[in-house]
Amino acid sequence: MVGKYLDEFYYRAAEGQEETSFHFAAASQGPPNIQHLRDVVWERAQGEATLLRAPLRGEVAQHWRVEWRAVYGSRRMNPFRPTVLPAADWLLLLAAAGIPLSLLWDYSWESTVGIDLPWSPPHTANYLAVTLAGAVGLGQIMKTSRDGVRLGRWRAPLGAWVVVWGALAFVAAFLFDRWWQASYGLAAGIWHPPQLLKAVAFFALEAGAWLAGLQRAEEAVRAPRVAWSAGGLARVASGVLLALIFTVTLAVNFPNRQHGAAFFQIACATYPIVLVAVAMSGRSRFSATAAAFVGMLMVCVMVWLLPLVPGAPLVSPIYHPRDRLLPPPFPPLLFAPALALDALLRVFPKRAAREPGWVQAIEAGLAFFAVFLAVQWPFAKFLLSPGADHRFFAGGGKQWPFFLRIAPSAETAFWKMPGDEFTLSSALIAAGLAVLAARLGLWLGARMRR
Amino acid sequence: MKSLAVLFCLLALSARAHVGSPNVFFEGHAGPHAVRVVIRPPATVPGIAQVDVRAGVTGVTLQAAPWETGDNAAAEPVRAMPVAGEAGLFHAPLWLLARGSYRVRVSVESERGGGVVSVPLLSAAIQRPTMPPALGALLAILGAALFVSAVAIAGAAAPTHRRNATAIATLLLTGAVAAGAWRWRTMDREFSTHGLSRPLPVEASVRTAGSLHLLRLSQPADSTEPAWDSLVTDHGKLMHLFLCREPDARTFAHLHPVRRDGATFENVLPALPAGSYQLYAEITYENGLSQTLVSRVAVPEALATSPPMAAWKMANEVWCQTPAIPLGNAAQPVALDADDSWHSAEPAPSPAARALVCPLADGSHMVFLNAGDLVADRETSLRFAVFTAAGRRAALQTYMGMAGHAVVRRADGAVFTHLHPGGTISMAAQQMLAEREGPLIVPLATSTDEVTFPYAFPRAGEYRVWMQVRLDGRVQTGVFEVTVRPEP
Repeated sequence: MVGKYLDEFYYRAAEGQEETSFHFAAASQGPPNIQHLRDVVWERAQGEATLLRAPLRGEVAQHWRVEWRAVYGSRRMNPFRPTVLPAADWLLLLAAAGIPLSLLWDYSWESTVGIDLPWSPPHTANYLAVTLAGAVGLGQIMKTSRDGVRLGRWRAPLGAWVVVWGALAFVAAFLFDRWWQASYGLAAGIWHPPQLLKAVAFFALEAGAWLAGLQRAEEAVRAPRVAWSAGGLARVASGVLLALIFTVTLAVNFPNRQHGAAFFQIACATYPIVLVAVAMSGRSRFSATAAAFVGMLMVCVMVWLLPLVPGAPLVSPIYHPRDRLLPPPFPPLLFAPALALDALLRVFPKRAAREPGWVQAIEAGLAFFAVFLAVQWPFAKFLLSPGADHRFFAGGGKQWPFFLRIAPSAETAFWKMPGDEFTLSSALIAAGLAVLAARLGLWLGARMRR
Repeated sequence: MKSLAVLFCLLALSARAHVGSPNVFFEGHAGPHAVRVVIRPPATVPGIAQVDVRAGVTGVTLQAAPWETGDNAAAEPVRAMPVAGEAGLFHAPLWLLARGSYRVRVSVESERGGGVVSVPLLSAAIQRPTMPPALGALLAILGAALFVSAVAIAGAAAPTHRRNATAIATLLLTGAVAAGAWRWRTMDREFSTHGLSRPLPVEASVRTAGSLHLLRLSQPADSTEPAWDSLVTDHGKLMHLFLCREPDARTFAHLHPVRRDGATFENVLPALPAGSYQLYAEITYENGLSQTLVSRVAVPEALATSPPMAAWKMANEVWCQTPAIPLGNAAQPVALDADDSWHSAEPAPSPAARALVCPLADGSHMVFLNAGDLVADRETSLRFAVFTAAGRRAALQTYMGMAGHAVVRRADGAVFTHLHPGGTISMAAQQMLAEREGPLIVPLATSTDEVTFPYAFPRAGEYRVWMQVRLDGRVQTGVFEVTVRPEP
């Protein structure tokens, strides 16, 4: 569609004219996107639009006529003012980012202070983030909408449904977890069912935010007035998802475990799902790289900020006395494999145009595995060296939870844990997992692009 | 998320020297001050122990630290707060992070000066988890809602392939629920086997050797518990063994088997009525860990000759020569320990059992002074006095270093514990603490004609209490049947 027609359309819609019609001359651009026009009419004039697909008499070029009727009267808006993202989107993004950040804070709190009460500051921040996300999602569902996924009598964007589902799952996980911790404590081990459910809830909340961001990005393309930030929303949300993966797999992310099989296998089974889907569905040619930078930055912010906060262990045994909150491990260098994925899937458009399939999955999976291994292997060595014993990298084998009993020689060594040796077979498993993850990412990305 | 914090398992010792009576009671001195400490441990670890300290002081601080590390890894002490309306009572919650032996250091201060005393504590998971029905129902409803809504969202998100999407979502969710249930079952089994602290079953058997019945206790071949070669003595004995004849525990024995090797203890059996007996044994390891061992054994008819009492305390030792076996090691225990004692009210129940007064074998009487005033979970002192046949207070001699020993057993066997005037703690563990941490901790001096035991019955019900004292060189056992009322 030609821009000036759209502008006028926006203007008239915003005027809230109750019974009117508008003609689009669509000689070379094809029919107008009625879905989008209906959105605009709905948002600007609370009206309903109908597309009448009839060429007007006497016209040579094909014309399209849209009629709409304002239901609730006009809502004056200046159609020429650049549209900003609705507050709900920003709040959802804030909530989504709050989840991994509060979890990293919680890890730091438990590893520094030790007393882990239900209403500790990081826990409270976590509940607030989940509540905020759930409230935004619920608000979107309650807001009468013509489009989106319909469940019962409500229609809402898919992202909103997934976010609300995640919030409900969190409530169940919270209740279950309180009981579990009072009953089993840690005597039964970690990764217990309520914790798994909590992780599922967090991923649902993040995925919902990502879906919401993608939808905004789509709208941004169709409506030039929606600010650039809509496109960034999906990128940031996917970066948040990467940070969440890092957070829930923190146990293997210590530099001392980064020459082990578990680290590479878990990384290969998880990160490519997000990175490949982002590369496939993002508007920019470097969406995956941008998402990787966002994810890394989120963890880095906690690496840099947490040690500024005073905190000391309040419970015995204290094997590593501290007076500042413990930083989490430095994040893996995801931007490198993300760049490779962007190059493979987006920078060469011919390839990207192909229908995604197993060949592409194998290429993408192996590219992720090879680049990640090549970059992270030496970087892990660096993280354990005295050169990384710095606020920036928080490495050098100096940052430990206060309760962890560890031999001094093991602090700067790669841990040889039984079954965790990085051998040819474990490397092949990691590569295979990366291919599977990439295939899933391709499938997701293709669906998201639609 | 707690898993983020506890990335690595800590010390995983677990056990407790009692059955069904987890609270710790201690009475002693901190400097010039008499103190009474009650610790209610959490059901699991990490968790919060509730500590009450009674002392006529102006301030109390508490510090919990694992036995192994002691002061080197201890956090700053916590100040206990005075309880409103209760003069001299202080309270503080103490966070226990790791499992295993702990010491709780109680420091008191007043105008008369300060004092310190350390109380051993076992940090362990002690309760089998049960979910309240209301919570279970709520979680079931939430779970069902999550399941149905997830399937509905999946179906609605793919309107063109609704049926496929619904089917795939249902399959995936069912698989996830099944995997979660499997994980729960596996973890619960692991918790019951290794995480939950409970009395350890051991193997018990009786064999006849010459004119003696010998009771043998041994660790099961597949036991993963530490061997018995690193035990320390508690009141001078490596093991205290209690036998209760089933079904009503009218016959009771308190024996002190000797260690034959790292997995076996043996003892000469006194002339007890034949029958099935429940066994409870207490041991303390070098690291302060106390354990209760349980078993059951069939005792045969007593032999014609009563087994001798050892005149010499080491008569039974593996590595000793004895008067009975003058050359070489003792191949087996040859006599009852000088401190072994037993009491039988068979076949007829003692008419005095339910009374507050129990006649003793030497004609004197023992009185349970506050037997009628027992309420579940209420902290009290069990008070006993002994009167001679002439009605005067009898002078008590020390029995294994104490004015007396009491054993409490609920009628159904769900509660069993061994009390000292110093409380429920292992005296061996406390002595080790004392040696390591400074001034020797002396249990509160008990007047020689009255013995008190700090305790709170954990549950209401019918209990039997055996109270043992030494009079004129002989151990006398008083037996009382008491009713513990539920908390009002």
